[in-house]
Amino acid sequence: MNKEQAWQQLADHARVIKPLHLRELLADPDRFQELSLNQGPLLLDLSKQRITPDTLPLLQQLAESCHLQARIEALFKGEPVNTSEQRPALHTALRAPATEQLLVEGEDIIPSIQLTLSKMEHLVRQIHSGQWRGFSGEPIDTIVNVGVGGSDLGPMMACKALDEYQPTTAQRLNFFFVSSMDGSQLSEVLTQCNPATTLFILASKSFTTIDTLANAITARQWLQEASQITAKEFMRLHFIAVTACAGKALEWGIPNENQLHFAEWVGGRYSLWSAIGLPVALKIGMQGFRRMLSGAHEMDLHFRHAPFMRNLPALLGLVEVWNINLLGIHAHAILPYDGRLSHLPSYLEQLEMESNGKSVTQTGDPVQHRTCPILWGEVGPNAQHAFYQLLHQGTEAVMCDFIAPARRYDDQRSSLKQQHRLSLANCLAQSRTLALGDAVLPQPAAEAHRRYKGNQPSSTLLLDELTPESFGALIALYEHKVYCQAVIWNINPFDQWGVELGKVMATELLDALEQRSPGQFDVATEGLLDTIRQYNREKGL
Amino acid sequence: MKIAIWGDELAAWVAAACLARQGNQVMMVREAADDHLIPDESSIRHEPGLMQTLQQQQTSGNLLAVTAAQAQSTGIHWLAMSPGSLDMAERQVTQLAQHSQQLLIINQSNFGLGASDRLSERLDPSRPQALAYIPDTLQQGTALVQFSSPASLIIGCEDQQALLTLRTLLKPFTEQIKQMLYMTAREAEFTKFAINGMLALRLGFINELANLADQVDVDIELVRQGMGSDDRIGQHYLNPGCGFGGQHFTQYIESLAALMSDKRRSTLLETVLSENEKQKELPFRKLWQHYRFDLRQRIITLWGVAFKPGITSIDNAPALRIIDALLAQGALIRLHDPEALHEIKLRYGDHPQLTYYQDPYAALDNSDALLLITEWSSYASPDYQQIKDRMATPLIIDGRNLWEPEYLRQQGFIYHGVGRR
Repeated sequence: MNKEQAWQQLADHARVIKPLHLRELLADPDRFQELSLNQGPLLLDLSKQRITPDTLPLLQQLAESCHLQARIEALFKGEPVNTSEQRPALHTALRAPATEQLLVEGEDIIPSIQLTLSKMEHLVRQIHSGQWRGFSGEPIDTIVNVGVGGSDLGPMMACKALDEYQPTTAQRLNFFFVSSMDGSQLSEVLTQCNPATTLFILASKSFTTIDTLANAITARQWLQEASQITAKEFMRLHFIAVTACAGKALEWGIPNENQLHFAEWVGGRYSLWSAIGLPVALKIGMQGFRRMLSGAHEMDLHFRHAPFMRNLPALLGLVEVWNINLLGIHAHAILPYDGRLSHLPSYLEQLEMESNGKSVTQTGDPVQHRTCPILWGEVGPNAQHAFYQLLHQGTEAVMCDFIAPARRYDDQRSSLKQQHRLSLANCLAQSRTLALGDAVLPQPAAEAHRRYKGNQPSSTLLLDELTPESFGALIALYEHKVYCQAVIWNINPFDQWGVELGKVMATELLDALEQRSPGQFDVATEGLLDTIRQYNREKGL
Repeated sequence: MKIAIWGDELAAWVAAACLARQGNQVMMVREAADDHLIPDESSIRHEPGLMQTLQQQQTSGNLLAVTAAQAQSTGIHWLAMSPGSLDMAERQVTQLAQHSQQLLIINQSNFGLGASDRLSERLDPSRPQALAYIPDTLQQGTALVQFSSPASLIIGCEDQQALLTLRTLLKPFTEQIKQMLYMTAREAEFTKFAINGMLALRLGFINELANLADQVDVDIELVRQGMGSDDRIGQHYLNPGCGFGGQHFTQYIESLAALMSDKRRSTLLETVLSENEKQKELPFRKLWQHYRFDLRQRIITLWGVAFKPGITSIDNAPALRIIDALLAQGALIRLHDPEALHEIKLRYGDHPQLTYYQDPYAALDNSDALLLITEWSSYASPDYQQIKDRMATPLIIDGRNLWEPEYLRQQGFIYHGVGRR
């Protein structure tokens, strides 16, 4: 069956399903059994999606018509799946066991990955034992990660999520994450840091990212003033570069022994598993970091080998394709019911929208289907007091991901366990209400403004508990889901050309702001420039 | 009177010597009855007059070694045991309570707050048995005099009969006493806590001042003398240095700090302790800065690894932190200590970066720095010329302000003390 036929069959099926309300679908007593599936520490429940068990084989047909299995193999085998940049995307190799072998252009890439891991391990051990010394000779006790996008969101999210896995024997470390170009985060962080005991991790794949370098220059100046020693000296003591461009980092002044490297084929938003994960390893120890990798690796094996009908990333991706392309839903809310996952929504915003926010196919033609929806989110219980109103009574159809651990606070006080139960109860209540509407009530209210229409679809991802393994598996699940969708839409999820033009424009405008060149901009921009210059003139600047 | 003494602390040996000298029958409880009556720690053996008195009293027959079973022949027991042995003390008191009719336990061990109450609970309330707590305030060097003619004495005991016996036992020592303070055992324990806490605060404060003096070009030695001349302050516990170590004192302060943190959310003593840990690395930091943050392959000599002079113990010794830091930086370390070399060898064993020296001068050949960490008296007046001749760079980092900066600089040394100009 070809693609067009597969889409056509789905469209025919959608005409049958669309009129059905989730209330009716959920009347089937076998539904949970048929539409939920387990993999390791994760349970994916699709029973609150607007599908029937008959939908899945049709989606499978679509996947097969798009050669999904072959594309998955291509991903894992290191074929140049990133076509516009002609390189592979091998984040899966970053979490492969040391015993594996993977040839890319004739070279086994696993040894160099393992080498970086052991370099990381050495560094973590030094810092954890209090033997990485700053200029005063005191041990480093504060880590400031300077990076943006994938060099910021992933490590920040993981550090927050896995905070409780800090090894008790290690030197206590404070962590800060600094990304914003305007220096507002950095200037605030620096007031809390002792320059003698602060280590900066400059995380930038290209080591040309202007946001990161602008912050790095301020950090460098701060250390220079505090230490009164040469740049060469304090660079060795207080800066580590994590990059794919060793030469650029060296040029900036970071000696080679203070650099951790990752390959060009690691995409920024897929780089948590590489040396970019250094803050995570510093937070939870190398053992914890390796546990995270192994959790992700388990998901890799599952994605690669499980048949689509039992394949979590594939099914999640396909059901969302169904929502987007057949039910016309273009908004997607990420709702973790666990404060530790508070950075997951912004992480997924980048992962999904930067990967699949595309409108040309791999062959350069306009896409024939809509692609990535608008994604946003918030810790569930907090979002209940913010945008859930729109989910329940607005005009937009929104699909939601509810994410929660089943167990938490095992060894802690009963009131905390109770708080977790309260959060879980809210998680279940919200997805139920969104699905069923006020049909859950024996007697729905009469007034229109108190009615709930329901029929908003959602997936629920239940983790056994939040551990480095289950966390690794969760993130890998989303990565693979994104890939699966990109294959269906025939787009390249591994480039991001859409962010380039703005950078070029900014350079011209910086010149204009600094009045180095007059520039000829559009009338709107010229208007704003004039106003900014005028404010500055009034202040005598 | 007939008294059994339990423990191997300085207080145990001093009590034995002084009580025997007054004609009491003193039984030191040992493993076996024929054990030699010699303290384990050299610092106790070096206590002025102690070994001589012990010898005399043994010869005269007033002092003898007994087993725990033999000790049950008396009803008066003096406990001066190490801080970690409260459980053992409880077992012994339980046994004594069962085997004796009348019993007086005099506890002089630093077990911490509430320990005397715990021991008292082991006594048989139906019999005339009681416990008194006397805080151990003996200072090394003058302990015999302090015991024989104390200026004041704190006694924690509420049992009148026990107090009568105790006063009788101590009568020969208290004729001249200015002050006898009576309180509950718990209050006396708290007093002991408070004294140690105060001493730690003084040490912490003077170290803090010395570090500041380093930065503002002031000689802490003059400041220290000036402070000490004010009789509200006095001279004691005002010597800056690279931190205090030892098992007992540190443990004691730790438990007080924990109590203050738990009950009061007070961080005062916790800060003193954490600053003390930092202070232990001070000689390393000075070395690190001198050699511009790179100590790879540098030959560094340490004089003194024991946590204080006169003992073989390296428990919490500043030397350990310095050795660990130097190892991590790839330095080559040479160690000398008059007595604790064996202990340090047990800890680090054969290590490619470590060499152990019997001769302090041999440890200096080609050295890039000498770090003085423990102020053994044998280091006080060394052969400076020989030191300088042997070293590759005549850099001295004096962690105890043992030497005279000006003289050393005249001799051509680069000298760094703790707050010394």
